[in-house]
Amino acid sequence: MRRRTIVFIVCSPHARTGVSTTARLLTDFYLARNQPVEGFDTDPHEPTYGPLFGDVVRVIDATDIRGQIALFDRLLVHDEIPKVVDVWHRSYERFFATVKDIGFIEEARRSGVEPVVLFHADATETALAGALALAAAWRDQTMIVVNNEGAAPLGAKAHEILARYPARRKFVIAALNGPIAKALEVPGFSLSRFLLAAPSDMSIVVRAGLKAWLTPIFTQFQNFEMRLELEGAEFLR
Amino acid sequence: MAYKPSREKRNVSSRQEQPPVAPKAKGASSGAVRKMKPAVILVGADKGGVGKTTVARALLDYLAANNVLTRAFDTETPRGTLHRFQPEQTSVVDMTSPSDQMKIIDTLNTAEVKVSVIDVRAGGLGPALDALRDTGFLEAVKEGEVNFILFHVLGSSIASLDEIGEIASHVQDAYYFMVKNHVNDTTFFEWDPLTHRKYFEKVRTAGEITIPKLNEMSYEQVEIAGTPFSAFVANKGMNGEPANHSFVLRGYVRTWQNKIADEFDRVELLDLIAGRGGKDR
Repeated sequence: MRRRTIVFIVCSPHARTGVSTTARLLTDFYLARNQPVEGFDTDPHEPTYGPLFGDVVRVIDATDIRGQIALFDRLLVHDEIPKVVDVWHRSYERFFATVKDIGFIEEARRSGVEPVVLFHADATETALAGALALAAAWRDQTMIVVNNEGAAPLGAKAHEILARYPARRKFVIAALNGPIAKALEVPGFSLSRFLLAAPSDMSIVVRAGLKAWLTPIFTQFQNFEMRLELEGAEFLR
Repeated sequence: MAYKPSREKRNVSSRQEQPPVAPKAKGASSGAVRKMKPAVILVGADKGGVGKTTVARALLDYLAANNVLTRAFDTETPRGTLHRFQPEQTSVVDMTSPSDQMKIIDTLNTAEVKVSVIDVRAGGLGPALDALRDTGFLEAVKEGEVNFILFHVLGSSIASLDEIGEIASHVQDAYYFMVKNHVNDTTFFEWDPLTHRKYFEKVRTAGEITIPKLNEMSYEQVEIAGTPFSAFVANKGMNGEPANHSFVLRGYVRTWQNKIADEFDRVELLDLIAGRGGKDR
């Protein structure tokens, strides 16, 4: 049975909600398993996700038609290679307008490609309205609400806020404390390489902290991937 | 996935999949189709570069998508642009030549295809209307023997309004639409309401149709492909062979076609063609 090609659309209408972190984590999740993956960073001005991965992630301008062709035509190729799109908050509106204009979601379904929207929650009503608008436009679209507790903490009302989002599933990215978070910012630091072989000069505390942080995140990704495969399994139909 | 594009019911690129048929007359059931009056749609303007042929092509795609059998005439002799894109259904004719006039008008009643689209060459709208008057076609329209629809494609300048006065006398019995074509320009001259009214007093119109803008790259790629818009959207070449057009560009063209179809639906074009229009003659 041929697997569906997953396209993760990692997005938020607002800055600093952890979108690029999630895109990075997903990419490293696949690379750490020696699985091919392709990423797209839609911030052509100050890309943060793209430069972390060299050739694996392309920086494109989704507001330009040439950039749209480079992005969407590639996303529609059913080759079983997961794709990760980091939707820059400034191109969020235009990105989804294009998705609608060109009928991307419908064509993806026809092509064996499974778009998955990873919507990053924050405490604002506009973020919630954005998620509701996407859910209304594409009712059966798989949407996962992502709660990055470090970048966009929801506080004591987290459960109430998340319950209002139109998503059946959620990913929680826990907050990282200072020294461990700094390790992520070291130029050239790769989470996937760290998982395969942690640098010998790295503090044991930082190593343990990073692994403790990554494990539940990657478990959530793995669970989701398995669930998606089970849902698509023909022998269960 | 439940997102439904606005034109889900009508697949604008379905012309290759379903055989076109003539539109049903009013009140006709599937078993009893009333003999339909011929209909002529003239697409013209008095100057070039306003996108007449683009409008004619979009119109032919719309009619095909709605299963309306259509023949087309291109008056840009000797080699027509419309003929280049839709060669199978288009004949190149000279509207001022009696033999070509016979080819169009004398066959209106006898041809199996009852809907004719005439793409009038730049500067040829006045002479074409004169020819239609001289051949008795306009008289036949007046008698209700033929449905006549005129798409007057307007440019973005005030000069376009002068044309309206010149053709007013020819179109009293036609469904006369003014077509604002934005396809190849970014800004459209917005007419001053007073000036607008002054000119429009001269002619009774059936309404205005707006052709939205299509981005340059998509338009250019369809030009290069040399196919109807619907074939481009269906990712096919001139002879129906699979093509390799960008999905993004095809998506933009499809959305653009859908918006045009919404405009044609709004003015109930299919009803007018089938003689179900409510306009008093």
